[in-house]
This record gives sequence, structure tokens and C-alpha cells, in this order.
Amino acid sequence: MSRDTSPQRLTPAQRAGRSAALAALIVGGFFPFIWMVLTSLKSEGELQKFPVQYLPSKLDFSNYARVFSEQPFAQFFLNSLTVSLLSTVLCIAAAVPAAYALARLNLRGRGLLMTAVVTFSMLPVVSLLVPMFRLMRGANLLNTYPALILPYAALSLPIGILTLVAFFSAIPRDLEAAAMVDGTTRVGALTRVVLPLSTPGVVTAALLVFVNSWNEFLLALSFNTKLSMRTVSVGVTLYQGEFAFPWPLIAAAVVVATVPLVLLIAIFQRRFVAGLTAGGVKA
Amino acid sequence: MTPPLNSPSRRVRREPGEGLLAFFLLLPAATLLLGVLLFPMLTTFRDSLYLNKLTEPWLTGFVGVKQYAQMLGDARFGAALRNTLFFGVLTVGGSFLVGVPMALAAHLPSRARDVARVALLLPWAMPPVITGLIFAWLFNAQYGVFNDLLVRAGFIQEPLRWLSTPGLSVLAMVLTIVWKTSSFVALIVLGGLQGIPKEMIEAAQVDGATPTQTFFRVILPLLAPSLAVAFIFRTISAVQVFDIPYTFIQQAPAQGLLETLGVYIYRTGIEFLDFGYAAALSVALFALSLAVTAVYVRFVRDGGNS
Repeated sequence: MSRDTSPQRLTPAQRAGRSAALAALIVGGFFPFIWMVLTSLKSEGELQKFPVQYLPSKLDFSNYARVFSEQPFAQFFLNSLTVSLLSTVLCIAAAVPAAYALARLNLRGRGLLMTAVVTFSMLPVVSLLVPMFRLMRGANLLNTYPALILPYAALSLPIGILTLVAFFSAIPRDLEAAAMVDGTTRVGALTRVVLPLSTPGVVTAALLVFVNSWNEFLLALSFNTKLSMRTVSVGVTLYQGEFAFPWPLIAAAVVVATVPLVLLIAIFQRRFVAGLTAGGVKA
Repeated sequence: MTPPLNSPSRRVRREPGEGLLAFFLLLPAATLLLGVLLFPMLTTFRDSLYLNKLTEPWLTGFVGVKQYAQMLGDARFGAALRNTLFFGVLTVGGSFLVGVPMALAAHLPSRARDVARVALLLPWAMPPVITGLIFAWLFNAQYGVFNDLLVRAGFIQEPLRWLSTPGLSVLAMVLTIVWKTSSFVALIVLGGLQGIPKEMIEAAQVDGATPTQTFFRVILPLLAPSLAVAFIFRTISAVQVFDIPYTFIQQAPAQGLLETLGVYIYRTGIEFLDFGYAAALSVALFALSLAVTAVYVRFVRDGGNS
């Protein structure tokens, strides 16, 4: 990026301030995750020390084995992966045409439709829990993948649409006009001109939906109560007994559950920052 | 019923079939939104007018606004609402105090910028339930790292019982939510910072402005729209907060102070199986969310980015 080459020369004090600010940001952001990694490598005995022993004296990976042996965590992981991927596909498949219509066609009531989309993005999930539960029970979907895929796709849809509308609107209309003069249809202009150009937008929206779905807890907790249908966000809470919290084990489960997110962020960090700031995203 | 195409009454000339095309393009999204979100929402309104409590199945039927009246006399609802607003003020304020400096740091040109961005995104992407679990562990009374750091630094002599002391458990939850949500504020503000033309800052510097003056007179006013958007989104998520209080309450004996409106709705509906009253409470939460949303829609329509 061009901003990297700052014309101003920094004084030593400014340089120190910059380093301190960045160090605080990096330590603050990573610390809880790193702490869980360290905790997961300790034995229960090593954990029960105060003052705290920061580094494990030897790396003990047995907690990771126990994560998978004490609960069907591999199954939880597979469930989360399936549900998150399919919600993402469904959400994007519905969001792309809708966002194209809102960004590009001369719609009557466009303002009203956009307001409706924004309003849908603000609905509190906990308020919808009981009626959604009854809806899913009525449709005989409890303890199935669609019981989570449908709400996850619907809940992320407004954010997906808003993000894509922002991206589509940024593509010059002349490009489509030219393609249509050359004889393609509206749909052709969408699939051959607009979509290829808005791949970054679609990737951003897809990442958002995936992260939202991977992280969702309340509906997963309530709709899919069968052990074999649990997702990782609920799975990590299943290691706590009534009175005891086996922290090294919980820490290992937390690390396994968040590794996909950490990888996605590390790979797509530029895309995330650009997309999140362009779209206006719900926390 | 179809109006003639290209009729002079239309403000915008449409291509033939554009209305039909729009209909089909919007259909999948509309089906999902109306079927999976709007239908349950309308059901909630209806349910709020009926008694429906699985533990007392003989009490059923239409009761009108009785459950709303019940809400007004419900001390636990009052407490949950107060807690929610109290946490809202502290965590929204806190996330700005931390998030804005984070954005400024992440915006600085530096070789560590990519790492800084990952650090910025990590709290945002971390599942809220897992954030709650991690921080409950960090605040652990016996082996928690926060106690350890405070003791080593000499601020306290004895480890604090964070989660079982009422005031401290509130502070612990506020700190957790602030850690989790500052990222979001920082991301929105970072977007605003990236949108500020470099020339404007250079011009201020050429005119002899100090960095402090540049920040308060040039950068901050240009950031106002981003700050406003972040503020509104943060307020909405604060009103609805559920996952982190839910995880904390599992471990904190001082539950009354930590119960938010979202948690009270969950317990009323799922744990006490009082669907009717849970629906009435839900409508209250809808109303609160919609009020903030209305401010947002108005702000966007009035050209908040001008």
C-alpha cells in the first residue's frame, strides 16, 4: 500500500510510541488465545500453582487426545464444518441475486426494501429462539443439519446483502451497459461481468457468514441436543462437570475449536479488514 | 394488473421485464427472511398475548396485555433491564476507549502491520461463548493469570475472588465484553481512517499543525460518521448481549447482577418453560433493538457519510 511510505521522518519518541502502541495491540489481541494454548499443554498438577507457572515444563499433548476421546469432538467438528459451509452456500446463493437487484435494477420501493434488510439484521436471536424452536419442531427438523443451516443462512443474509450491495454499487454501470450493447442479457451481464468483478465482495460476505455460523451458540445449544449433532461452540462447554472445570482439557478443546478461525483470519486478514469496513457489520 | 411498460407515468423507464426479473432475483432472499425470521417474530407477538406455560399446562388462553402488565411489576425484569443498560453504557464506552486507539495503532505504517491486523481481528472472530470461557479462566480466583499479574506487580496482596464477589464479577464481565467488542469499533474506525485523504493531513501539517491539533481538528471530525455507525451497532449488540453473560453466570455465584435481558428471556422460555411470558419479554427486547435501529436508519438516510 502506498501509505506505507510515510513522508514524515519520525522522532525517536514517536518511534517508541508507535512500537509501544503496536506491541500493546498485538499482545492484547493474542494473549487470551496464547494463554489457552499454554494451558492446554500443562498437566492438571502444573496448573494448580500460584504464583502461576507461565510455561509448561514439558509439552503434554495428552489433553488433545482426551478432547477427542472424552467427547465425540471430531463429530462436533465435522458438524460445525458441514453446517457452516452449507449455511454459507445457501446465504450467498440468496444474497447475490438480491443484492444485484437492490444495487442495479430500478426498483420501486428500493429504500423501503433496504430499510427492511437493515431491520432484519438487528433482530435479537434470543427473542426468536422459542418460536423458531417450535417452527423447527413442527417441520420435524430438530437434530438435523437444516435446523441450523436455515436460521444461520437467514440470520447472516441481511449482512451478506448489505456487504454485496456496497460492492456491486462500486462497479461502474458502463461495463454492464457495454456488455448488453454487445448482445448479452441482464442475467448475462450479472454472471459474466458483475460477478467476476465482485469476487472479492463475495469472498468477504462468505467469510462473514462462515464465521457467524461457526460461532453461533444459542440455536445450536437449543435445536440440536443429540450428542452426535452438537457443534463445536456447544461442544467446548461439555467438558465441565457439575462442580469441576478441567481447564487443560477445556483449553485444548477451545484451541481445536478456534484454529479454523485463526487460520481464516491469518490468510484473509486484508480481505476481512477491507470488507468489514466497507459493509458496516454487526458485532 | 400489470401496468403498461414504458407508460409516461413512470418516473424511470424500465427495460421490458425488469420488474419480473427483480421479483425472481429477490425471491430466494425474501423467502428465507420472511419464512425463517419474520414468521417467528410475528409468532412472538401473538404468543405474548396468550398464557402458555408448560409447567402449568391447565392455564392457557388469551389474556391480552396481562403479561405486559406482569412485566411492569416484575422486579427481576426490572433488574435485568437495569443490568443490561448498565453493562451497555460501560461496555460501549469501554470499547470506544480501547477500540479507537487500537485503530490508530493498526493504521500506523509499520512492518508489523499484518500481525497487528490479525491481533485486531482475533477478538472479533472469537466465538463469544469461548471468549466467556477463556476469561472466566483468566479471572479464576486460585490460578487465574490476572490475579497472578496483579500480585506480581504488587497491586494486591491476596488473589481476588473475581467471579464470586458481586462488584468484581461485574467488572470482570465488563472487561471481557470490552476485549471482545473493541475490535469491532477498531475495524469500523480503521475503515474511516483509510478513507481520509492523505492530502488533508499533509495540508494540516504544512500549515504547522501539531499532531494533537491534526488529530482533534482534522482526523476526528472526518471520523465522526464511522464513530456514529460503530456506536449504533455496538449499542444494538449491547442491548442483545447473551453469550458472555450466559457463560459467566455458569461460574459466578453472584448471578443477579450479571443477568441481562437476553439471559432472562432464555431462562424464562427454556428453563422455566413459560413461553407466553418469554414472548412478552422478547417483544420488549425487540422494541429496544428497533428503537436503536430506527436511529441508525434515520442516520443513514440523512446522509451520515456526508
